[in-house]
Amino acid sequence: MTNCENMRESMGRWLDGELSPSESAAVQAHVATCAGCAEARRQLESLQRALTGVLVADAAPIEFIPFWREVQRRINSKRPWYEDISQWAREVFTAPRVAWGVPVVIVVLLAVFSLDSYFPGNPFGGGRNSFASVESIDAHGRSVALLRENESKTTVIWLYQNEEGENETGEDRSQAGPTF
Amino acid sequence: MKLAKIAPRLALLFSLSLVAQQDFTGAAEKNPQSVQVTIRSILAENKNDEFDAKLKGMEQQLKSLKYRSYRSLKDDTKSVPWQGTQSFDIPGGRILTVAPQEFQDNRVSLKVRLTQGDTPVVDTTVKIPNKGNFILGGPPHEGGVLVLSISAAAQ
Amino acid sequence: MELSDRELVQKCQAGEMNAFQDLVSRYHQKVYMVILGLLRNREDALEVAQETFFRAYRKINSFQGDSSFYTWIYRIAVNMSIDAQRRQKRNPLDFRESMDSVMEAQNHTAKDPFGDVHDRELRERLVKAINDLTPEHKAVIVLRTIEGRSYKDIGEILGCSEGTVMSRLHYARKKLQDKLSEFL
Repeated sequence: MTNCENMRESMGRWLDGELSPSESAAVQAHVATCAGCAEARRQLESLQRALTGVLVADAAPIEFIPFWREVQRRINSKRPWYEDISQWAREVFTAPRVAWGVPVVIVVLLAVFSLDSYFPGNPFGGGRNSFASVESIDAHGRSVALLRENESKTTVIWLYQNEEGENETGEDRSQAGPTF
Repeated sequence: MKLAKIAPRLALLFSLSLVAQQDFTGAAEKNPQSVQVTIRSILAENKNDEFDAKLKGMEQQLKSLKYRSYRSLKDDTKSVPWQGTQSFDIPGGRILTVAPQEFQDNRVSLKVRLTQGDTPVVDTTVKIPNKGNFILGGPPHEGGVLVLSISAAAQ
Repeated sequence: MELSDRELVQKCQAGEMNAFQDLVSRYHQKVYMVILGLLRNREDALEVAQETFFRAYRKINSFQGDSSFYTWIYRIAVNMSIDAQRRQKRNPLDFRESMDSVMEAQNHTAKDPFGDVHDRELRERLVKAINDLTPEHKAVIVLRTIEGRSYKDIGEILGCSEGTVMSRLHYARKKLQDKLSEFL
């Protein structure tokens, strides 16, 4: 950026009195010697005068008594309950930081409650049962055990050998079957 | 600048559209097309202390059965339509027949029958978490016992 | 002896309506002028100004004194004006009509500083150019022009940093200059 561009960037702040004394002196010194920046200053001052003419000169004084009466009337009149709620909602949900916060909270809550679909048995699974549940069982006369292993959340259906020998090899039966 | 102003509103609309897509009723209003059923046939025995590397991921489940060694015999995966049936060959001349019943609350309801030849060994109906499994074990096999891991994933 | 804003607020919070009346008396004209600068319509500006003080009364107990009273009341006024402008955009006013009504109500013809044709055209173009600014840019121009507030004060009123005020002012002035270059 050239020196003139820098000066013109600072012109508004200089005319508004927002520069430090040294910065202000630098701009003033430059404008005194640069025709282009002097013209930029003239235009900005002309704009400011026009703005003052439109915004300040147009606003004639308003009478206080009728104004105050109307404010009092509003204070004393009862408003429908839903106006207050809708006003409150507008203030809360359209505040810039909150406006972002609401969708973020919705997405986070959805993610937490959907976690169980992708990671069954996770601690945030919303309390869903991660065990398989046995609705019915018919072992056709055999002994059967229903077992649950808590750490791996596993349901086990264990079929014991009946006495009449489905045992193929005659192995020590005490070694057969899980010992939970 | 304008995008920065409307971005929070767009984000809110997007998040609300995600909410609208959720199925909160828990009912099986949109049934998946079929179920992918996987049967892992495993030999559990006490002859040695080996754990087949193919069974990685199942250590916790299998070791709770308290056998000393576990060996993968066969893995079989088939797609089964809802209300249809599918049979799986199981070592030892057995057949496992699976019939997916319904999908509800992210759980798959399965009817399962194990037969030895023509003789039914066990009939059971089990509800398992989608992509989860249960263990059916106990039938003797080659000096140990057969352990079947039955898992189902709705597609 | 005249009470300070802070003392008047404390009296309001204690339930003294007279104290609130004094505050309204102190600030009603300034608040109205800022709102008129933003809305460019006298009737709307009066309505919003009255509503501003009504809202301030309802919320007076929540005023902690972290900022000055005038910053607080201007903040309410500017926020309500921005809301009103957004509603206006959905039901646009003919700005020429609204300016005419302002002129008529204030009987400006004799004292019109924009007496000749050139100046009248500049004024009309300027009003339109101001109206074309976003509410946030209009707010900084109005607060700086009407109130002569520092960037720090404007930032407190609008709830933004001094840097943001500076860049908005710079941008708004540039926009206005671009649209009015032949007149300036």
